[in-house]
Amino acid sequence: MSGEITNVVVEVMPHFEGFVYPNEATHHPLWSVLIVLYPYITGLVAGAFIMASLVRVFNVKALEPVYRLSMLTAFAFLLCAPLPLLFHLGQPFRSYQVMITPHLTSPMAIFGFVYAWYLMAVLLLELWFDYRRDLVEWSKTTSGFKGVLYRLFTVGVTDTSEQSVKLDHKIGHILSIVGIPSAFLLHGYVGFIFGSVKANPWWGNVLMPIIFIMSAMVSGIALCVLNYMILTWIRRRTVDMRCLDVMGMFLFYALVVDAAIEGLDWIHRVYSAEEGFQLMQYMAREKLFYTLNVGQALLGTLVPLLVLGGLQLFRHRVSDLARRRMYFASALLIVIGVLAMRWNVVIGGQLFSKSLRGVMSYKMEFAGMEGWFMAAVVLALPFVILTILVKLFLSEKLPTTGVGSDQPAATPA
Amino acid sequence: MKLTKMPPQVVRLVLLTVGIVGSYMVAKFLLTPASFGQYGFYRGAALMEIASHPISLAGQKACAECHSDEVELLARFEHKTLSCEGCHGFGQAHVDNPDVKMEVLNYSHCVKCHEANPSRPKWHKQINPKEHYPGDKCTECHVPHAPSEVP
Repeated sequence: MSGEITNVVVEVMPHFEGFVYPNEATHHPLWSVLIVLYPYITGLVAGAFIMASLVRVFNVKALEPVYRLSMLTAFAFLLCAPLPLLFHLGQPFRSYQVMITPHLTSPMAIFGFVYAWYLMAVLLLELWFDYRRDLVEWSKTTSGFKGVLYRLFTVGVTDTSEQSVKLDHKIGHILSIVGIPSAFLLHGYVGFIFGSVKANPWWGNVLMPIIFIMSAMVSGIALCVLNYMILTWIRRRTVDMRCLDVMGMFLFYALVVDAAIEGLDWIHRVYSAEEGFQLMQYMAREKLFYTLNVGQALLGTLVPLLVLGGLQLFRHRVSDLARRRMYFASALLIVIGVLAMRWNVVIGGQLFSKSLRGVMSYKMEFAGMEGWFMAAVVLALPFVILTILVKLFLSEKLPTTGVGSDQPAATPA
Repeated sequence: MKLTKMPPQVVRLVLLTVGIVGSYMVAKFLLTPASFGQYGFYRGAALMEIASHPISLAGQKACAECHSDEVELLARFEHKTLSCEGCHGFGQAHVDNPDVKMEVLNYSHCVKCHEANPSRPKWHKQINPKEHYPGDKCTECHVPHAPSEVP
């Protein structure tokens, strides 16, 4: 039958405009929405961890109620960080090979090492030293499956003498100090992966790692604000306004630096107006108008900057309830804005031809390995894990000690 | 410092680390394919596995053994750089046994090159398939082996 069909186009050609190389005329970019999630989730980890180290390293006492929640947030998201990559690659039966034949000179493979270091040597260890004393106590008082878990997590060490707890704190402090450059490394690496693609004018940029680190801090702190407020709301507790104000302050400062660096990047692009600049203008005006100008710049940066900046100046004139709503709205906008930023980087960088004379398009599918349903599942998974972690390690019923002892669960209503 | 003098949590962590790294080394030893790294950063045996796949493309020389007149005709016209199997499909089965027929031509591959597209050079003949005799076979007017012979 098909042989009888003549010069009628059978294939639906992918949509593109202008001059596009044959290998670029694909139905969707090679790195699709899952690769948007990868730097997003990794950034949330790094940001949440830096938020926690404000307590541990920089001794910001006001943030103690969110210390453990931030650490658990970082942990839950870190567990899911490589998932989008593995799903994108497919081949689940071969995925273990990436670990048994480690590649030492591939920049892509370095993520594995950075990830393993950060998960195993920093985050898990810091969490363990922080929780060790509590775990021993809980393993004595809790029965059933939970008790078994707590006993398992103590790894058989039951020493809770003052001397050993002191040592826990000391090691935790050292790990936290090591953790800050590690968190920067984790997310700076993600920026480096894009920034080092010198053939792509949208990506190839030395500022990229710094932009990624700053936006990671912003998104991580914003996520902690959201998590803290949602957790207190679920538990019918009152929000510690001092803690929230300090979080809002750090969120504002991080956002100022982030906006300044991203603005600097654009000023540099506009002033130097290199080869691909016309195309970038077109991208900003047409292809990425909503995600870049509206999502990232206006709603994700400008509005929260004004709201949080205004709160820095007129905090005492705004009621607690209004402040809480403003912090929540700003944090939500920032979290969405940073997701839009990741989209603009990853998808934006693949929407134009290497000829710099044509653009491709990307329409997300619903189903399939690279569809938005899959992306939604991957993005929801860390929250599911976090819920379990909070139930296990931030339970209202269990007494706590240590740095994060003044956690939301313990704050009286 | 003696092992017994070390704080118990540190001792346990060292043991745990040794356990994890040790089991990783065992897994690496057992699971790494035997021929990995033989020639480079890949499984050496993969080369032979790929080479042992059944051959589907025969190549123009094999076609010319029987269809020399067509191959010679093609060589004199614009389509001389195209391979036989690019349009006619995989030919090894037909070379092995001439009774196995080549697949029937599907004309959609003509428009792959000749559909109007502004990024193609001007000298390249291009048509809009929806306007240019839609529904008719390309070969009713054109001779692909000698395109410039017929308008």
